[in-house]
Amino acid sequence: MARVAIQNLSKIFPPPQKGGDPVTAIGDISFEVDGNVFVSIVGPSGCGKSTLLNILSGVETPTSGSVSVTEGSRPARLGYVFQDARLLPWRTVIDNMLYVRDDDRSETATRYLDMVGLGHTHDMFPGQLSGGMQQRVGIARAFSVEPDLLLMDEPFSHLDAITARSLRDHLQALWTATRKTVLFVTHDVVEAVQLSDRIIVLAPGGRIFDDIGIELPHPRRAADPKVATLQAEILGRFEEMQPSTVTGLESLG
Amino acid sequence: MTAAPISLGGPAPRQGRLHQVLTSPQGAQVTAIFVFVALWQLVTLVAPRVPGPVDVTQFLYTEITGGSHGGIVTGQFFEHFAITLQRFSLGLLIGFTAGLLVGVVIGLSGLARALLNDTVLVLLTMPAFVWAFLTTMWFGISWRAPVLTVAFTAFPFVAINVAQGARAITPELKNMSTAFEVGRTKRFRHLIVPAITGYIFAGLRFAIIVGWNGILLSEWFSGQAGVGFRTRYWFDANRYRGFVGWVIVFIVFIVVLDRLVLNRLQARAFRWRDPLQGEIDLSHQEQAGA
Amino acid sequence: MTNTVAESVSEGTGQALVLRTAAGSRRRRYLAVGLGWLAFLALWWALSAVLGSEARLPSPPRVYREIVTILQGDFWTQFWASIIRVIAGFAAAVLIGTPLGFVMGRSKYWGNFLQAPVVVAGSIPGLTYAVMAFVVFGISFWGPVLAVGLIAMPYVAINVAEGVRGVDRGLIDMSTAYGRNQSQVFRHVVVPSVLPFVFAGVRLSFSLAWKVGTLTEVFGSSKGIGFQIRRNYQLFNMPAVIAWVLLFIVFMLLLERLVLVRIERRLFSWRQWERDQ
Repeated sequence: MARVAIQNLSKIFPPPQKGGDPVTAIGDISFEVDGNVFVSIVGPSGCGKSTLLNILSGVETPTSGSVSVTEGSRPARLGYVFQDARLLPWRTVIDNMLYVRDDDRSETATRYLDMVGLGHTHDMFPGQLSGGMQQRVGIARAFSVEPDLLLMDEPFSHLDAITARSLRDHLQALWTATRKTVLFVTHDVVEAVQLSDRIIVLAPGGRIFDDIGIELPHPRRAADPKVATLQAEILGRFEEMQPSTVTGLESLG
Repeated sequence: MTAAPISLGGPAPRQGRLHQVLTSPQGAQVTAIFVFVALWQLVTLVAPRVPGPVDVTQFLYTEITGGSHGGIVTGQFFEHFAITLQRFSLGLLIGFTAGLLVGVVIGLSGLARALLNDTVLVLLTMPAFVWAFLTTMWFGISWRAPVLTVAFTAFPFVAINVAQGARAITPELKNMSTAFEVGRTKRFRHLIVPAITGYIFAGLRFAIIVGWNGILLSEWFSGQAGVGFRTRYWFDANRYRGFVGWVIVFIVFIVVLDRLVLNRLQARAFRWRDPLQGEIDLSHQEQAGA
Repeated sequence: MTNTVAESVSEGTGQALVLRTAAGSRRRRYLAVGLGWLAFLALWWALSAVLGSEARLPSPPRVYREIVTILQGDFWTQFWASIIRVIAGFAAAVLIGTPLGFVMGRSKYWGNFLQAPVVVAGSIPGLTYAVMAFVVFGISFWGPVLAVGLIAMPYVAINVAEGVRGVDRGLIDMSTAYGRNQSQVFRHVVVPSVLPFVFAGVRLSFSLAWKVGTLTEVFGSSKGIGFQIRRNYQLFNMPAVIAWVLLFIVFMLLLERLVLVRIERRLFSWRQWERDQ
């Protein structure tokens, strides 16, 4: 059960061209996440969501502000799922699962592989698997290190809709079984509503626009009418933040 | 994992101008040359038989200006260089013409390709020194051996490249016959000619590089004059500064010709061309002609 | 050249797909290749008849007899002598070229610094290496080794530099996110990424290096294929010269096309699948 505390965090990148302005990816945000909750971070491109995850995982350093990711009194152990599977193509699936562990316990790794239905790919190479299967391995890998905090950066955005739907179900199954703390970044509001207990909405320029709690029980079916209603409502609020600039849209039903 | 609060730092200190110049690509190349010469000098201290940069430079000066080496031999530069250039040009002309003809035939006719392609490939893999030997055995010590060595070495490269070019434009030529009259000349001028000239130029460039290598070998083994012969002359006389000097002449000529002249010409003439479109198998061609 | 070609033909109301099967096309290819070799032999034979055999251009049967004699004789001793030098030379090239390539790939400065000498090294004619090796080592085993090593080294270095530059940053970020240390990243990400490039450097420079090695043998060796070529050249034994040259070419091609390519495919089988992705 991890605790994430973000205080006045900002990240400013140097200007991409000489003489240009520096780019504010994240501009002074603060929030806390506590407990075994599934939190989505939602926003359009350029709102700093991926940067936030990079800072949390140590790939980037903040320009100012503080970030604390703890489990009790010690630093939290992290799992990470990327947009692309990021498996070592020259190692077998099981070796990929073991690479991120500090021990050699392949039983745990195999167990999680079975949980996503890929036990049979144990000794295959990533190149022999489809994109969806590779991503499933990536998810199993993240869960298998039994992290305190799971960071997921738009893990389904590169997959087709059907595979994505199936993987969302796998993810929900894994999560309800293990109840980790999850920070899930996505641009897809509909997906966020289906999966999360809480949605933090970032606006362009990296500031928090909204913070929405969702009280529906887990796991949720995408077709559930309650889920659909909530999705429509939240999408409406999204529209307020970024009104469509296409003229004539109001005249449409 | 906890990150301590970090405050905004100031901008990085500007690097000195000298530092910028030194670390630029050109700066690095120039430094490399200096370091190379310095290393060369060091090597001569360890292995006294190896001539140092100063000795070689002195030698070249004497040789080029027609001065006297140790009061015994006079420097002969331009005569030999001219002879080699003449032979080289003639051999290149023969090889290029033959390669052009054969390449066009192979490229346009499937039957010709089936019959001739393998022969050309075998010729492509022949080491240049073998041509030097064979031509000497056939023509003895004369100007014919070097000329034909160049011709034989260059021929397969031209043929292969021209064949690829001809194959590449054949669909264009076919399309032309169905295109409107108005478009035909335009199509020819803007599509076909540039495309095939690209391949021809590539073939010519390879021919020049391997041909130059070939003539050095041929004149070494069977010459009575020319750059290769003169290189061997000094080598046989155990005056290694002479040997190294002439080798440098040899290298400088081709490096300057290729990288400064041919490179620029090719880039300028074919600015429009997508460099990835060429699909000319370079690795194999760079292999041959050793 | 594709194995299957689908041609769609529209006839009147319907459309028919004509598929040329893989088997048919392959048979056609073998036939074409066979025809090519026959044509080569025919051309050779004709030329030798025109020029008058033996001294000018020995006929294929004459050369064939010579080849048989050589193969039944000491071919394998000579071949082994040559190939062991080539292997030693390549080992040296890899030992020096790989760390060099690493430095070139990781640092922009060193990349630029070493680029010029490496490029010039590629423009130096093989004869220079051959003679230089002879000057340094005289008639010895090491001359050809040095020449092969010097020729192959730039290829290995440049390829390794490419490999280092091309290491997947995503995999490195993943390793950082999962808390892998430097040595783990090096062992599991960098080395496997770069290894295929080392091999590519060897494979690409193979025939060139062997040619220069043989040329060095022509100068400074008492054994090997190059030495045999020179010996027969001095004896004016044309059929033997051609026989040795042909054997040299054939074995060089066999080693490059069959052995090296097969080894590469085996070692890096995962690349094939990755490419298919």
